[in-house]
Amino acid sequence: MATNLVRLLESSIRSNNAGVASRTLRVFSSQQQQSEQSVEDDEEFRVLNLRTVKQQARKRVIKKEVAPPPRTTHMPVDQDWTAVWSGPRSFHPASVPLPLRQGYTERGAAAPSKYANAELMKIPNFLHLTPPAIRQQCEAIKKFCTPWPKGLESEATWKAIFPVEVVTTDYCHSLPTIRHPEARRVTITLKLTDLKFDAHAKDKFLRLVGDRYNQETGVLTFVADRCPTRKQNYDYALYLLTACYHESFITEPWEDSKSEADMEVYLFERNKAKVSAEAILNWNATGEKQAPSATYADSVEKLINEGENEYNIAKYKEEVLKMLKIAI
Amino acid sequence: MYLTRQLRQLPRSRLTRHIASGNGPHYTTAAPQPAAEHIEIPKRIERSPTDLLQALASTVGRDATAPHYKYHDDPFLIPMSNITKRTYALSKEAGRKAANWIKEEHRELFMHQEAQPPIEKFAPSMVFTEESEVDASSLQLLVSQGELKDAVLVYNLLVQKGIEVSDALKQSLLELVCFYNNEEPLPEEYIEERWFMQNSRRRERHGKTWKDGELAEKLYAAIEPKTPQSYAALIRGMAKYLQCERAYALLQEANEKRIQLDTNTYNAIIQIVSFIKDTAEQRWQMCTSLLNQMAEQQLKPNLGTLNAVLECISTFGNFKLARSSALKVLPEFKQLGIVPSLGSYYYLLIIFCRERAPVSHVIIDILNDINGKEFKVEHPKDTYFFATAMDVCRNHLHDKALAKRVDELLHTGNNYDLIGDSFKEGIYYRNYLALLCQTESIEDFMRTYDILVPNIYIPEPGIMEEILRAIEINGAVEHVPRIWSDMVIFDHTHRESLLLYVLRIMVDNRPNPELPAQQQLPEQCANVAWDMYNKIEESAKRIKKVSFTGQMLGDILTLLVRGNSSFDKATQVFTYIDKQQHRIPGTPADSALFEYVEASILNKAPSQALMALQYAVENNMETTPLAKRIYEGFTLSEVHLAKLKSLVGEGFLTK
Repeated sequence: MATNLVRLLESSIRSNNAGVASRTLRVFSSQQQQSEQSVEDDEEFRVLNLRTVKQQARKRVIKKEVAPPPRTTHMPVDQDWTAVWSGPRSFHPASVPLPLRQGYTERGAAAPSKYANAELMKIPNFLHLTPPAIRQQCEAIKKFCTPWPKGLESEATWKAIFPVEVVTTDYCHSLPTIRHPEARRVTITLKLTDLKFDAHAKDKFLRLVGDRYNQETGVLTFVADRCPTRKQNYDYALYLLTACYHESFITEPWEDSKSEADMEVYLFERNKAKVSAEAILNWNATGEKQAPSATYADSVEKLINEGENEYNIAKYKEEVLKMLKIAI
Repeated sequence: MYLTRQLRQLPRSRLTRHIASGNGPHYTTAAPQPAAEHIEIPKRIERSPTDLLQALASTVGRDATAPHYKYHDDPFLIPMSNITKRTYALSKEAGRKAANWIKEEHRELFMHQEAQPPIEKFAPSMVFTEESEVDASSLQLLVSQGELKDAVLVYNLLVQKGIEVSDALKQSLLELVCFYNNEEPLPEEYIEERWFMQNSRRRERHGKTWKDGELAEKLYAAIEPKTPQSYAALIRGMAKYLQCERAYALLQEANEKRIQLDTNTYNAIIQIVSFIKDTAEQRWQMCTSLLNQMAEQQLKPNLGTLNAVLECISTFGNFKLARSSALKVLPEFKQLGIVPSLGSYYYLLIIFCRERAPVSHVIIDILNDINGKEFKVEHPKDTYFFATAMDVCRNHLHDKALAKRVDELLHTGNNYDLIGDSFKEGIYYRNYLALLCQTESIEDFMRTYDILVPNIYIPEPGIMEEILRAIEINGAVEHVPRIWSDMVIFDHTHRESLLLYVLRIMVDNRPNPELPAQQQLPEQCANVAWDMYNKIEESAKRIKKVSFTGQMLGDILTLLVRGNSSFDKATQVFTYIDKQQHRIPGTPADSALFEYVEASILNKAPSQALMALQYAVENNMETTPLAKRIYEGFTLSEVHLAKLKSLVGEGFLTK
């Protein structure tokens, strides 16, 4: 009973933290508890308090705000999803009413749910590009579109009527500047067959444009990026095209001095073979002179330009026999 | 476009433009030869840089479950009370302010300009000190930018250095100073601060704030000879900041000197007529004389004149005079072809719909007039219309259909921009919800409630009480759990009247288990009651304390007993009642104890039942039915029987 009383007192004293009462405690307490008390006293000796230090304000218990349930719980089933998720943003489980799961787990376990799931936040989502959203946006910007011109329904027609293609690129990027160095680049393409040439002009044109002409596809490409703005580059590309075209029709005086040694290809017309063939055909003939046939000329050119192969030789033989009217 | 134009000039070529599937626009030039038939290429439809964005934005509707887009869409960050709404929005703006401060404080770090084209706002602003080299052109620039403080500083420097400032420049500085009363205005980009600004701060109409004898008047004195513009600027400034007597005196001086003033200056004076004259008759007389002066000077009145005259009329104490003069003014302005703005209608509403005046249905005519129209802000008072109109609908006419029409008008086009600020929006929705919950059926009302609460409007405790009253009248106890969870989130749980109301509704409307919609209700009600019990116990530690009353605890007990699985909780509550019976004022209702005893019979807990009986005996309540029920319901053991007898005496069995 006595120990009980002591304990009761002790607890009340501790709670009151009153130094005065601790002396009265000693009167009642047993030996063992006295020693305990002295140990406690030793441990925290009192400090002489010269300047009164303000007691620290009690820590305020921060009231925790009640977080509402995720708003998916009160979304109606027939809601307008485009209003909920109107633009690109990273995934948020409280706004997406889908039971999504993603992530790696041990075999057999279900993938982690959408809450606190970094996997779902990492990947880009296309929740803002649902078919209805795209439909709505297309409807909204339709008023800025003009109808497709009549008479240009097939690709063949519009390629025939508008042979020159101009390609430029606009860039959308997140930098402080809205200018992009690549945006000034202008590419003009057209088919060589859409331009009209004679043989000399064509040859000269191809020499002028060099590797801007793709022999395999027959497409001519002008890329201009030397001027600072797109407009200037576009003008420059068109100027190049126009200038090359008109330049190719001009025959300079020095072009006539091209000798047989300067020729890139063998031409039947300006060679000895033609003279010889004519001499053979017109041997002893009077009156109208005979000319060697075009097919013969062709076969000779082929034989010399492409080299001797079985086909060319056979063809040549056939033509010679035909020309000399020798029957085998 | 320029490409098209360029190509048109090329000989032998025509151009069209189409969107190809590639990475950019393709332009093709036509060769004329195969174009046998004429191909018409449509002209490009002109659009401004933002037209496409606006078209796309128009496809996005309002999501009722989402907060306003200025807040984070996350349950922990969605504001759930008016205070948090304000705090979150303003702290976001405070971040912007801090960034601005850093930019100005460490200007040397922000001198580079990487943006192309340069963004002026990202560069630190120019600093002018006493030593700065200034000339008239820098003053010109500052005035055009509206930098009041710097402009004044530079002007003073110029005067010190004796540099000549042209009269035109002085005039524009005078206009700037008069407009802002030589006080730095709140920067334009702080939208949230404007939206949440305390109503008392924005109410300038308290008294004179004009700074007498300061810069504005010095500037005015420096302009020689006086031009009509300088008179106009000073008069308007004085009128705006309520230096009424001098403004009027200046007007008379200008008239004596035969100086032609403009309409807006007269408007400013008409606005302050109520400060110059005291009685309604004098005010009206002065108003008409000012209008006559305008007519003499052949000034054409505008919308500002109409609103100023109506404002003057709205201050008349004499109700009949106000009405008749308003009716005189309106047709005259209509003849002049002036279309009233929402501000004019606002004045009409406060002229016609007064508290101590006969009921007026002017709002119906107004709504017929402006139904489905889209408005732009034209007058400062335009933003007062919607809040006032809804107030009239609720307090003056009490008409649900009208309120709906006003709401429809608010949601037409961009009219929502004219709601004003958070304060006016709050008034608007407070009136709207209060009116609807009094007049609509509870189902319809809850539909509106779901749309508006909590993201657009959060009901104050007074409105919550109105809503609870509507629920009580309709006996729609099934909505109580929903309302209770809202009350917890909006922090209304420390209002004793609201708690009692919620309990009363749930106790009085015993859910009918036969209806499928109400099968879950007893459980839910028990949960609400238990939640409330815990909340009240917790609140004992707080400053805003709610204390239990016997009635309240009895209701909680009843609800817990009605829930099927909450008998343990009920026992806990009853133990609390029993132990604290000296602290709790009042006792639970008899019916609560009786239901508790019934439940203990069901749960076969005779000692709980006897405890209830003992409590009833100690508190002098009706005991006989309780004792009877206990005796009949249980097969009591010897001990229990002895206790029963000791509590009510032996005689009750024979009665």
